[in-house]
Amino acid sequence: MDDAATIKRCQQGDREAFRHLVERYQKRAVAHALAILLNRDDAEDAAQEAFIDAFKAIGTFDTSRTFYSWFYVLLRNRCYKITAKRRYTESLEVAELLVSQPGAADDTRLALEKALHSLTREEREIVSLKYFSGLSYDELAMHLQIPRGTVMSRLFNARRRLQGKLAGVLIREEGV
Amino acid sequence: MNEPSCEDVLMARMAEADGEESGFLEKQLTAHIAGCANCQHELKQWTTLNQVLSGQNLLEPRINLWPAIENRIAKPTGSFRGWKPFALIGLLLVIHKLFEMLSASDPGMVLKIVPLVIATLLFVLIKENPFKINTQLMLER
Repeated sequence: MDDAATIKRCQQGDREAFRHLVERYQKRAVAHALAILLNRDDAEDAAQEAFIDAFKAIGTFDTSRTFYSWFYVLLRNRCYKITAKRRYTESLEVAELLVSQPGAADDTRLALEKALHSLTREEREIVSLKYFSGLSYDELAMHLQIPRGTVMSRLFNARRRLQGKLAGVLIREEGV
Repeated sequence: MNEPSCEDVLMARMAEADGEESGFLEKQLTAHIAGCANCQHELKQWTTLNQVLSGQNLLEPRINLWPAIENRIAKPTGSFRGWKPFALIGLLLVIHKLFEMLSASDPGMVLKIVPLVIATLLFVLIKENPFKINTQLMLER
């Protein structure tokens, strides 16, 4: 069943249909929340609360939109509420954010994770959505609720900072 | 059109590589890059960064949020259901008191009771604490 049909059933009060949505998107939601929060428990809390927000507001969802771009706005609001509420130290081990594709060096992954940790939340968020979820600039603008020009400049700054943090890795990779 | 800066050129090239429109003429970009060692170096590094990033994915943890979510959405929200019995008790008490006062035939007391009844009804009708501070307005970005 596609998202539009599932959402229509949800709008008619079908909880079982909502379960399908949760099961379809929960891993992606937690991964995206983790990229913002860098804390597994907080990421799960944020995703859970965002799904509950989505359930309450599903009646207002416009089925011409994609579910996840709508849901992502709820998710990031929950993430930013958690960051505002909890002044935790970022306790996540650096190895828990990414997974290497076959053939990619593991030490490169570790260096990249460390570099991602050093970015601001907004920068880390846009990098994860662009590179690991493959969103276009228009989709990024919709997900992050910012103008397209801001998408370009934020992405540019994030890439620059990553380049700076990964200078050693990039020189090594260029030589390979 | 003005001569693009290094930042404009790099941003435009990145946009092109991402499959987006750059907003600059190809001729302008090529001419700038050909004469700018800084941009050449940045673009080379950026291409390598793209390769490094394309070899990674976000870790999607094994998780099942549904039991907790189901538990939460199965429960009716207490705030909406809970106010009705208390409002009814409050209303009955006010009516009872009102009859008591009126039977004592003191017309001055009616003037004191009426605002109290109006205030009570107002709280019942708006269903929400009007003095609640919306902290979310400060937290949204």
